Amino acid sequence: MADHHVIIDNLVKTYPGAQKPSVDHVSFSLPRGEMLALLGPSGCGKTTILRMIAGLIAPSSGAIRLDGRDVSAIPVYKRNMGMVFQAYALFPHMTVAENISFGLEMRKVGRAEREERVRKALDLVKLAGFGERKVSQLSGGQQQRAAIARSLVIEPELLLLDEPLSNLDAKLRDEMRDEIRDIQARTGVTAIFVTHDQDEALSMADRLAVMSAGKLEQIGTPLDIFDRPQTHFVASFIGAGTFFEGRVAGPGLAEVDGLPLLHFAGEAAIGSSIKLMVRPHRLLLAGEPGQPNSFSGVVEHIVYRGQILTLSVRCGSRVLQADLPTHAGVLPKKGDNVTLTVAPDDVTLIGREAA
Amino acid sequence: MQNNSLIGRVAWNTLITLLYLFLLAPIVIVFIISFDTRQYLAFPPESLSFGSYVKVFENVKFISAFWRSLAIGVIVGVVSVSAGMLLSLSLVRYKFRGKAAVNFLILAPFLVPHIVLAVGIMLVIAPIGLLDSYPGIVLAHLGITIPYTVRTITMSLMAVDTRVEEAALVHGASPAMVFWRITLPLVRPGLIAGAVIAFLISFDEATISLFIVSVKASTLPTEIYHYLEYSTDPQIAALSVILILISIGVVVAVERLVGLRRAI
Repeated sequence: MADHHVIIDNLVKTYPGAQKPSVDHVSFSLPRGEMLALLGPSGCGKTTILRMIAGLIAPSSGAIRLDGRDVSAIPVYKRNMGMVFQAYALFPHMTVAENISFGLEMRKVGRAEREERVRKALDLVKLAGFGERKVSQLSGGQQQRAAIARSLVIEPELLLLDEPLSNLDAKLRDEMRDEIRDIQARTGVTAIFVTHDQDEALSMADRLAVMSAGKLEQIGTPLDIFDRPQTHFVASFIGAGTFFEGRVAGPGLAEVDGLPLLHFAGEAAIGSSIKLMVRPHRLLLAGEPGQPNSFSGVVEHIVYRGQILTLSVRCGSRVLQADLPTHAGVLPKKGDNVTLTVAPDDVTLIGREAA
Repeated sequence: MQNNSLIGRVAWNTLITLLYLFLLAPIVIVFIISFDTRQYLAFPPESLSFGSYVKVFENVKFISAFWRSLAIGVIVGVVSVSAGMLLSLSLVRYKFRGKAAVNFLILAPFLVPHIVLAVGIMLVIAPIGLLDSYPGIVLAHLGITIPYTVRTITMSLMAVDTRVEEAALVHGASPAMVFWRITLPLVRPGLIAGAVIAFLISFDEATISLFIVSVKASTLPTEIYHYLEYSTDPQIAALSVILILISIGVVVAVERLVGLRRAI
């Protein structure tokens, strides 16, 4: 941790007149070359953190360390950051090449070297030949490439991206998602991007930092976050699931409201309160009533979504969500009696919030 | 029905045409009279010549007042734009105590009759010894031009996306550099429109000038006024035509340059 490239240490931001801090004692770190997603609903403080790292706003307390050096007191224009803004924020009165060259000019790089580096940056983002265009003559995707080139040409300490895909239409978004990942991998730049879109975060980032109400909920690999959520918020924000509150009745055995005993993986003290979660795609249409982790009920609602069929099955007082692959033989209909089963390994024990 | 709408359209078009004729008539009449050969103002002219124009260019008072007005107008334009830029920046970008009051004060000259302003400005300028001086007339004109430049620049400034300025900051531009390389070029239409409006107001202004200047710093409009007190001949018409052409020339040049209509 101590030798990590970027260390965010107990960062706090309280706006004047605000009741609660927008960013509340957040700490995390990134090794060199990593791509981290700051994920959370709007207003969770993720953009505030990004802007503090960039230097556009000053933290109330805490430190931002780059290679061990606290940069919080360095003014924004001396921090050597690259930033891609949500609406790209290209300079509208300059050509694409002038936009990209701007940071180099500010660093007093000579003309010949500037031209060479701008050309390479244009190549990198596949905009070769677009240098003389005006910004207004570019499509959304091209503007974004230009914004990325402008940020990378200065060889920044860190690449910061604020909702980089939110202004693009769906098809272009998928394309740029791979593109950004590829550019980041090729340049090896350490990158932090802010998003509220879980798919974007899961597919692009090496690790995710999930935030809620100014606090860091959990940081981990996409797999960690999806399969081993530490908090109820993380579990419910990333992906769907059915949640159970219960009490540990025996080793790997929980009593939950309105259902038979639930077998789960993981350890918890007998008698303690726990939260469990089952992802919809982990429930299978199998098993016999009475077997462990088998639940019989009536199909209340069906949503057909192409590859999968989402069932809402009423089992006693609970409704379970189950995603079935649509190639799975005869599909249940509304009103059918079905039995669902889940492996104990797929019943996730969420953190220890209630303990 | 068909008939009704036709009659309506004809009536409407006639009304619009008459309105334009009414607005343009004085200019047309002045234009025609300016070629009259008689020594008094009357319509229609008896015979036509360029004599009055020649006399205007031979009139030392007019010519020297023209250069003074031009210089005063240019200085007023430059100073109002500089002051307007600073005022607009503070009004658009910063929150401060008494902002509403400043906003109102800037608007105030719009609401006060020029004659009232003239008396007020004279009473301020007289004790500091600036009556009939260049600084005096420039200050007086700034009082009425700054509200306009603040308006045009504020409009341009509000259209500038602050994230563009932030992008410049992040990528290495100091705040001063951001101002020179980003903010200023982006509000350029507002600056040019403001400067042109300030120049034209100063160049045309008579009411306030009459209170402030007499001999040394007399402007063209005050010279015209004094000339009219003693004589009414086609020279005035010729001079008016020249002034109209200058104003049109300035507006057309700016329109070509930046698109004045967009800037205002």
